[in-house]
Amino acid sequence: MSEVSAETANQIDAKGIVIGLVGIYIAGMSGIPYLAFLAGIGAIFATKMGANAVRSVCSYGIGTGVPSIGMLALGMGIISAMFGLAFGWMVDIPFLGPIVGLALALAIGFIVGTLANKVIKLNIPVMERCLTEIAGAGVLVLTGLSVMVAGSLEFPDIARDVVSTGYIAPIFILGALGILHPFNASLGPDETQDRTMVHAYSCGAIAMLIAGICSIAINPIAGAISAVVGLVIWYVTFRGFVKLAKRDAGAGWVGTGLLPPGAM
Amino acid sequence: MSDITVIGMLAENWGSIIGIILGGLCIAVGVHFVPVGGAPAAMAQATGIGTGTVQLAAGSGLTGLLAAGYMYMTLAGVSEASISDVVLISATGAVGAMIMITVTMLVGNWVYIYGVGVPPASAKKDYDPITGDSQAPYVAPGTVGQGIPTVCFVSGAIGGLLGGLGGSLVYCMLMWVNGDPAISSIFAIGVFLVNAVLPSYNIQGTIEGFHDPKFKRVPKAILACFIASLLCGIVAVMIPGIPALGGA
Repeated sequence: MSEVSAETANQIDAKGIVIGLVGIYIAGMSGIPYLAFLAGIGAIFATKMGANAVRSVCSYGIGTGVPSIGMLALGMGIISAMFGLAFGWMVDIPFLGPIVGLALALAIGFIVGTLANKVIKLNIPVMERCLTEIAGAGVLVLTGLSVMVAGSLEFPDIARDVVSTGYIAPIFILGALGILHPFNASLGPDETQDRTMVHAYSCGAIAMLIAGICSIAINPIAGAISAVVGLVIWYVTFRGFVKLAKRDAGAGWVGTGLLPPGAM
Repeated sequence: MSDITVIGMLAENWGSIIGIILGGLCIAVGVHFVPVGGAPAAMAQATGIGTGTVQLAAGSGLTGLLAAGYMYMTLAGVSEASISDVVLISATGAVGAMIMITVTMLVGNWVYIYGVGVPPASAKKDYDPITGDSQAPYVAPGTVGQGIPTVCFVSGAIGGLLGGLGGSLVYCMLMWVNGDPAISSIFAIGVFLVNAVLPSYNIQGTIEGFHDPKFKRVPKAILACFIASLLCGIVAVMIPGIPALGGA
């Protein structure tokens, strides 16, 4: 992969939010159903944004295992995403939906992060920032994949095609896995950002593939396009991941020192 | 078409918001009762069930939600559930979650006792507060207890009760608002996860049950989950269900 190894959190967030929103809008508003896969690509970049935030916050050691924070992200994300889309429908401006959902998720994420730090006293300096990013990523992943499956930004379409059919369940859990799994699988003293991030792309691509297969029941051709694009992205990024894993495995061992006396 | 206004939905559904907060607090307190051992328990080096809080909470919560959903369908069908229905539905959800968590603990104990070959023992108390059995001699050196002793088992059952009760209460409250089982259940899962993860940070991943010193941290989790549930509740009651969309 030709990725720059030291990508800052700001760059990843900017890419995740911009590509995520643009993908959702093109897929939902362009009127060309075959472009639905662009929302899935947006979701992949949002997955990467969430995975990078998980990477920063979990390197502090949160004590509960990495999966908990991914579940928290999607718990906050699902409520915000559906509220955003419903709000856009209630005021008859569907365009507002994803932005309202995102803004709400960022606000809830910041408040929950503040609660975790100030009330529960986790005292992790990046907690507020990372939970804000993770909630934003959760809402973009859920909105992106839902829009991709339904091929529309209208809340009634999404409620009928995604929620009532039950496709929301695989989208929910695969979206959460894409955010929590990359760091959970790669963590350790020799964890490198580019390897974790490539893994995030490939997890996001799996979510896109499965959502595309779900979508075949609703929009057969658009769904098939999304599934094939997801499969291709998965193949390319997973090859990249294997390459980086081999690179890091060949780098020798990393000394971590002895355990501190209190931990024995 | 959209005659549903934000303020109107809030004013109409304030009762449901209170219900969602109550449900969220039940879940938050319930998490503190479940003996979560995390990875050390999976290696029989700590007391409790060998997995994380979120997996246990999600497992028991979803079982409770399934039980509650079935009871809702049987009792209320398409009509709106009355208060006595809500009590019955929440009780069914609580029993469903309790069955799940107790079966997990029972089978886990079989594995610890007959598979790993360790006696269940708590490292936090010298004597089991319920049976009075001596614990300290049975804790293997270098570990912090093994398996699920009686007090943890009882505590876990209480945790399942509270978790299932809270989850089904949230579900019923959302059904009151939008009358759509699919949207209600997915939101109930969302509220459930937020209220299960915040307390799990409070106990830092592991707890033995109500006899554990960490249990004294409950008030902090209650405050945090009150605010988080309030937010989730306000947002969740503003989302219309399929019946409100004019049969779309």
